[in-house]
Amino acid sequence: MISDPITQFTAAELKLIEQMNAQLTHDTALAKLKELLQVAVEIELATIPIYLYTYYSIDRTRFSGAHMRETDIFANKAGGAVMSVAVEEMLHMSLSSNILYSLGQMPQLYLRAPQSYPAPLPFHNPQGPKGPNGGTDVRIPLAKLTYEQLWHFLQIEYPEAPDATPQDSDWDSIGQVYSYIRCLIACDHLTDADFTQGPQPHQIQGFNYSPNNTDTVHPSGKFDPWKAAPNPAIPNPPPGSDPLPSASDAAVYSNAADSHAGPAELITIGSKQDAYFAIDTVCDQGEGYSQPGLPTQEYDDQSKSELSHYYKFLTIQAQFDRFEHYVEQLPANPAPPAPVTPTMTEAGLAADKVVFDYPDNPMTADYPTEFQPISNFCNGVFQYMLVLTETLFLVPPEEQKLFFNEGMHRSMIWVLDKYIQGMRKVSIPSGKFAGKSFACTFENLDLGTREASFAALRDLGTAAIAAANTLAAADKTKYGSLASNVTYYVDQTFGVTDGTTKFMPLPDVKDFWNGDTPVSNG
Amino acid sequence: MSDTAKTAAKSLPNLKQQPETGPGTPVPAPYPYADAPAFSQTIGSQPEGVPLHACMGLNSCKAADRYGKEGHKDPVTGQMVQNDCAGQGYCATAPAHFCHVQNDCKNQGGCGLYGTAEELSNPGHNDCRSLGSCAVPINAERFSTNGPNQGKSVWARARKVFEEEIWPQTRGELLNKQEMGGLDAKCTLPDTLGPPPEEFQGRGPSYLWISDDNNDRGNMTACGSSGTSGAGGCA
Repeated sequence: MISDPITQFTAAELKLIEQMNAQLTHDTALAKLKELLQVAVEIELATIPIYLYTYYSIDRTRFSGAHMRETDIFANKAGGAVMSVAVEEMLHMSLSSNILYSLGQMPQLYLRAPQSYPAPLPFHNPQGPKGPNGGTDVRIPLAKLTYEQLWHFLQIEYPEAPDATPQDSDWDSIGQVYSYIRCLIACDHLTDADFTQGPQPHQIQGFNYSPNNTDTVHPSGKFDPWKAAPNPAIPNPPPGSDPLPSASDAAVYSNAADSHAGPAELITIGSKQDAYFAIDTVCDQGEGYSQPGLPTQEYDDQSKSELSHYYKFLTIQAQFDRFEHYVEQLPANPAPPAPVTPTMTEAGLAADKVVFDYPDNPMTADYPTEFQPISNFCNGVFQYMLVLTETLFLVPPEEQKLFFNEGMHRSMIWVLDKYIQGMRKVSIPSGKFAGKSFACTFENLDLGTREASFAALRDLGTAAIAAANTLAAADKTKYGSLASNVTYYVDQTFGVTDGTTKFMPLPDVKDFWNGDTPVSNG
Repeated sequence: MSDTAKTAAKSLPNLKQQPETGPGTPVPAPYPYADAPAFSQTIGSQPEGVPLHACMGLNSCKAADRYGKEGHKDPVTGQMVQNDCAGQGYCATAPAHFCHVQNDCKNQGGCGLYGTAEELSNPGHNDCRSLGSCAVPINAERFSTNGPNQGKSVWARARKVFEEEIWPQTRGELLNKQEMGGLDAKCTLPDTLGPPPEEFQGRGPSYLWISDDNNDRGNMTACGSSGTSGAGGCA
């Protein structure tokens, strides 16, 4: 494992630090740092629904194993890449939140996702480099997997220019925001003691983070689903007449465990040095490893085991037919990849049904009335996950692992993921999005106070089941599976049991909040 | 749970639209597990005081496996028999579950699909409810996605952890329990574990066996969307 050094300060950063030393006081520097870290948290948060929306538009296993077509292999790879980035955006949101908390301020997540789409990321320069259709608008839509949507992903992850200045607004790359934050941290007014105001044991702990999971993995091609995974203690059987590899042999891991600065990927913050490490991990994973005077790399660290977010998306884009004639304004470094074959077209992906026909920028109000409660519950779970994340800072440290598993993991992987996958199989029958697939809209649905949010979610669940059952009663063929899916996962959320099947509920956060005020965590 | 929910729970593994050719087809021929007893969808009655476990070869006592004290039909002799000893059992006695953090209790989690390097290094070895990883039983095709065991068999890792860490401790606890009368006196507790069922050639329970030669894919499922779990997907 090669450790990554902290990025050296650029001349522009050193100049700004000097200005800050001259013009700011301890209190103004601290206030500005807190303000900008909350912006950083909201930037990271904004990317998550955008990536997840596109992720769920991809059917990664329309055909699997030995039956995969070229389009299935591509879809699975694209899905793995998008999920691998989404996982790291959650890491980045956690790191920024930990820095903010270390300064004594709770990060705000609940109701802080974008209000509508296409969404400007907070304080993004409204005009960016030219895109594939010549446009320069940097607002990011909720959209299915397309060449154009991958361009919007590139807009989010665009590498910082070598001569870029630190920016607290009107930024062209997210790295510029973090650059400004680094300067504030480095200024003489702030000391290590400022980063000890939120105890480290209450921050989000590294033991909760894993870079890969089965969703960040993709198969390199066709594989034999019946072959056992290798047992190191016994030799593999001869391949025989079946030349296909096992799933384990075909597996490609999009993320690498050593892609970080400092001691680990998810670290807690108790000093300036910790904050620098966290920021380097965020910037390098997103935009690529760089040092002043050297070109930005396509990899995110010196071991070259993981591509940056920017390059992951560019590599997926490079497999589309349009890439060969691309007109996007890409940075000189890292150099774009050569076109990747076999070439994919959007029409081909649609014909092979590996991409669901998701609507662009849907809102629940755009769906037919009887679909709206089902959409509301999806948004409710999304918002409750943000409440759960805030609550992590309030849970007694010795209980954080259990709370994380039962709250974060269960809500994301077990409830939201499966609920959305059930929704997307349904075609919207009427209205603005007639004929499109039913998608989660990721809205800032108001669950009331944090203290009462679980109860509000329960009401949404009840309404979703009722709506789904009404749909199924009217047309069981079309909506029977949807009703089963909605009921099953709402029941999972609240631990409903019939005495024989026991579901484990999400934790209710009410004991940690008094209205929206944290109950003291000691 | 409502009737609709019951239907949903029962039909969950089949929610995924299946491609025309059918997942996993063609299956290997001839069926490689003809000498093994058929996978049981239910868990037989267990010897008193024996801990539940996550998979094949992780049992602490004779008869403490999927078939329980009732035993299984020996495909060769036609007789009902029990597994002989600790480490020789067929498959999980812990409640089946699909995903990370859904385990009921200590040492009942599977592993491999989701979880940290630490968790994925310790399949079938977790402290408590909700602290285990992934689906049970642990099918032979499943590999770890993180940590030192990345890309390798989860079942093989589980067996190794059981041999080296769980069994020495569990054996001591069970010997004490037996002395106090809290464990079936017939339960022998050998120093060295017996080998897992030989039909599976040291690779654990294949999904082909669990699914009854791919005829009943509802017997288990594992979550995840990449299609590489070897046991379908939940959605």
